[in-house]
Amino acid sequence: MTTKTVKCPKCKNEITVTGKPGEKIQIICPKCGSKGTFTFPQKNPEPKTTTDSFTIEVNNLTKKYNNFKAVDDVSFSVRSGEIFGFLGPNGAGKTTTIKSMLGLIYANSGEIKINGFDIKKRGKEAKKYIGYLPEKVAFYDNLTALQNMYFYAEMKTIPKEGCKPLIEEMGIGEAVNKKVGKFSKGMQQRLGMARALLGNPPILILDEPSGGLDPRGVALIRNKIREMKDKGSTVFVSSHILAEVQEVCDRVGIIDKGVLVAEDSVSKLSVKLNLKPKLIIELEKISEKIVESVKKVEGVEKVEAFGVMIHVTCNQKAKSKIIISVEKAGGDIVNIQTKEPSLEEVFMGFTEG
Amino acid sequence: MDFKAIFSIAKKEFIDNFRNKWIIILSIIFAILVVIISYFGSQGFGQDWSPLEDTISGLEGIVTLIIPIISLMLGYAAIVGEIEKGSMSSLLALPVNRCEIVIGKFLGLGSVICSTILIGFGISGIIIAINVPSSDYMPYLSFIGVSILLGLAFLSVSMFFSTLFKKRSAAMGGAFFLWFFFAIIWQIILVGILFATILSGDITESTSMPGWFFPFLLANPLMVFSAAGFPDAPSIYWRILSPILWIIIPLLLTFLRFEKKDT
Repeated sequence: MTTKTVKCPKCKNEITVTGKPGEKIQIICPKCGSKGTFTFPQKNPEPKTTTDSFTIEVNNLTKKYNNFKAVDDVSFSVRSGEIFGFLGPNGAGKTTTIKSMLGLIYANSGEIKINGFDIKKRGKEAKKYIGYLPEKVAFYDNLTALQNMYFYAEMKTIPKEGCKPLIEEMGIGEAVNKKVGKFSKGMQQRLGMARALLGNPPILILDEPSGGLDPRGVALIRNKIREMKDKGSTVFVSSHILAEVQEVCDRVGIIDKGVLVAEDSVSKLSVKLNLKPKLIIELEKISEKIVESVKKVEGVEKVEAFGVMIHVTCNQKAKSKIIISVEKAGGDIVNIQTKEPSLEEVFMGFTEG
Repeated sequence: MDFKAIFSIAKKEFIDNFRNKWIIILSIIFAILVVIISYFGSQGFGQDWSPLEDTISGLEGIVTLIIPIISLMLGYAAIVGEIEKGSMSSLLALPVNRCEIVIGKFLGLGSVICSTILIGFGISGIIIAINVPSSDYMPYLSFIGVSILLGLAFLSVSMFFSTLFKKRSAAMGGAFFLWFFFAIIWQIILVGILFATILSGDITESTSMPGWFFPFLLANPLMVFSAAGFPDAPSIYWRILSPILWIIIPLLLTFLRFEKKDT
């Protein structure tokens, strides 16, 4: 039943009526007595994706290998257009979850939907939307980089013209006509990312994308992730390094020993855990004045002095202010280091406690 | 069924495997042996002989020896090799189902075998044609056809082994054991039983074979040629039933097994 307010066209009196969608009723205005008919609006047809704004839905996923539960009753959902970080130490069940999401392995129980399509029943449709970078990147060694990409483009029914620019964008343009068997691990990883990006997929699933990459490659992939988000893609990225995920992700899920221990936005998680980075400043000489002035900076939680080193636990944003205040107080900075909270601390926060 | 996807997979398998150095080496050995036999087979026989048939029976030996090995080499890693290497994850994440992958791989690898056979027998066909001008080519063409069936049968079996075993090395071991079993052990067992129980002395035109003999013999697809040499041998149509069943059944099992497999 729906309730609507109807205005009498003659005397402007307002009447509240209830009825079923699509139902036609006769109304007699209680004030002026004029008659009229009113049709209740039809409900909007159900959107194609049964769930309003979730692109990936995982419900009660369990996967056992013999008697070992690799993934134990895991549920989470990824909203359209967000970057979702999937965190956990090695062997926590990240890859098992991802492989189940793609129908590469068969879960013992649970339901997985990609864009509203059940991966078990309508896998082929579901996979049309996905670009995937596996944990173990591999190609056909006898074929060149370009030939490999052509094959994947053909399978995805994407024009081949996009392949070469994509390989160049990933910084391995000089190797397009080289056999992939001769590629280094890092080059294969870059080519793997190019393969995942083929055809600008609306869903990008990346399993440990920075594995085997140098810092420049890591930055390149991070930029690509952001770029895909700007294009409207939903990105699911797994990692065992918190800092790597923290920077780009809107929300994160944390898995440990097959159990999902947390699912929240990055900022909320840090608040919950009270995890703050540590700024380690090495000075020429330390003085009481410096320590005191640092303590006064907004966002600073704790200041500890060890010899010529001061350890400051603070907000992300307070870092530059701290450095300025140290210099104002007359400190000569020799070296600065930041220590991000480690994933181990996060796990300890969730699993014990 | 998505024929475009099947074709793409088949094409990829063909290009990929035609660059495999082992396949190249075996194909060259095959071509050389075929050429040698056809050259000497069609030369130097008297007029009382039927040169083409003799040449073919010489080639049969080469086919039963080398074609199964090429097929097994192509097939044993088709599935387990990709899983072990990691490329299967990316293949399966594409919009394709597993049935299409199996068919695409079978067609692609099958065309490698067909090409090897056709190249080898094409060259030898020319040599035979030069030396034996007036010949009925039907026996030669049907011989090529049966050779292809034999190649596909062993491809199908080795692809099944590729889904049966968890390790590439185990699949390879299984494939070569199968070849050894069919190529060598089978005949020893069969002839042993035959002579111990029923027959004594030489087999002649008038000897009649027991009822179980031909089904048992032809359960081994490699016997498709030699079965013709026995008294009251079944016709070619019965004989090729063996490799045809050896293509269909293992391929179905490959699909069923792969469909349930975690990769």
